Amino acid sequence: MPFLRHGSYRIRYELDGPANAPTYVLVNGLTQYAELWAAYREALVARQFRVATFDLLGQGTSDKPALFISQDDQVAALDLLIGELGDGPVFLSGISFGGLIALRYAITHGKRLSGLVPMSCFAELSPQLLLLGNAMRTGLILGGTGYLQDLLLPMNLSDQWLKPLLDKLDSVKRQGWLVNDVYALQNLMESFLDFEPLTPQLASIGVPTMILNGEFDFLTPRALHETLRVQIPDSSLVIIPRAYHAFTLEKPALTADLLARFAEDVLAGRWQGNKTVWIAPEEAGGALVPFPAGYDHLRAIPTQGTNP
Amino acid sequence: MSEFFGPLDSECRVPPRQQTRVAAFLISAHGALARQFAFTLPMKLESAWQTELNAQYHRESEIVSVLLRATTWVPDLALSYMAASWETVWFPTPTEGIADRTLATAASLATLAHAVHASIRPAALLPVEANASDPFVMALRRIEFESSRLMQAQILFLKGPELAPYRNAVSAALERRHAEIGKLWAEALEGVGIAMPRVQ
Repeated sequence: MPFLRHGSYRIRYELDGPANAPTYVLVNGLTQYAELWAAYREALVARQFRVATFDLLGQGTSDKPALFISQDDQVAALDLLIGELGDGPVFLSGISFGGLIALRYAITHGKRLSGLVPMSCFAELSPQLLLLGNAMRTGLILGGTGYLQDLLLPMNLSDQWLKPLLDKLDSVKRQGWLVNDVYALQNLMESFLDFEPLTPQLASIGVPTMILNGEFDFLTPRALHETLRVQIPDSSLVIIPRAYHAFTLEKPALTADLLARFAEDVLAGRWQGNKTVWIAPEEAGGALVPFPAGYDHLRAIPTQGTNP
Repeated sequence: MSEFFGPLDSECRVPPRQQTRVAAFLISAHGALARQFAFTLPMKLESAWQTELNAQYHRESEIVSVLLRATTWVPDLALSYMAASWETVWFPTPTEGIADRTLATAASLATLAHAVHASIRPAALLPVEANASDPFVMALRRIEFESSRLMQAQILFLKGPELAPYRNAVSAALERRHAEIGKLWAEALEGVGIAMPRVQ
């Protein structure tokens, strides 16, 4: 199990796939750990990518700073990992909190990237997200990691995914409960106490960017992704049908396929962002279709849009 | 070596030797916190934080009490020297870099309590099949749950305005405490066949 060293802290990482191939670096969500990307390692390596995964500071098998974890330290840890990858093309993707860290990296180290895929992501704390975050932190403090998981599972996953697991949710939650500690998760959450919106800096992201957003994402709804689409010059927004916030867990085959296709398009010079809006296929390999012209992609009912 | 208690007996209870070692360690750590909180607690509460201190004292005492009663004890020859080494680690040592001695001593107590509450997770040693109706199993789950709530007082203090000017000193002292106590915990478990996966 290799580790990187950031100051006195160790960051556990894993590299899979051919060393000379373009690399996908995948950044965990707040309550996650690197093993949750296992299906992505397999799918992306099969498509001739190298895959780099790691536990953020405070997560899983990486060290857990006892009192403070800054988001700048997470970006520094990510930079150390990307520094291990040589000079080849690097595509960076992260989900939720990991997407935010990926955005920060793209703002400060964008030249090192060939492409960026923020998923279920945000650049600012809307009032809803701020209050939900506060409530989750309170839930963690009062009820522990298990209670936080109880809140997040129904909020972030579909009935179709949950239904067959209803009588074994304890086993679904167990590994996350084992490897993540309350104080460390709390430190990760409290890294938002001095959070400043990234929105004014998004325009500096010059790399091709594919923004992925679940159709039914309640935690980080469409409007938060719209900020990214509008501000990042070479971006497009792809809506994942019937998906919630944690679609990377629920639809790994589809999501890995979208990641691979994006990188292949960028490397082949076919990518055109143009701030367009797309609907992803239901299954891996299907066609992406443009969001119907004339309709407002920010609404859940078919409402005619207004041109900016 | 396993990351969990075991092998469990036919009623899915934790082996008494492992119960004894773990309970002895937890009683030593939480007992030390109870003593230090009791020493700091005035007869008449005069400020809000002393109300929290009173609660902390009683919760720590409760942890000791429940372990004394819920554990199936067996003789453990190694405990005599291990317990002596544990007790020396709990001694208050004023946090370096803080000139105000009272504040430095309070910070030291808070770092010890944070390390005990945050880094010792006894319920994480329970395998899935552990008997949920067993008092020792219940005690460990209760201790871990209560610890994460007790820790909040330490977090508020250690991250609070009084210690903000000493952030680096406090962080360094806390990291040292975590490492020290994590190592003791790992050594205590190792002697009864349990390996802590994260301690390298």
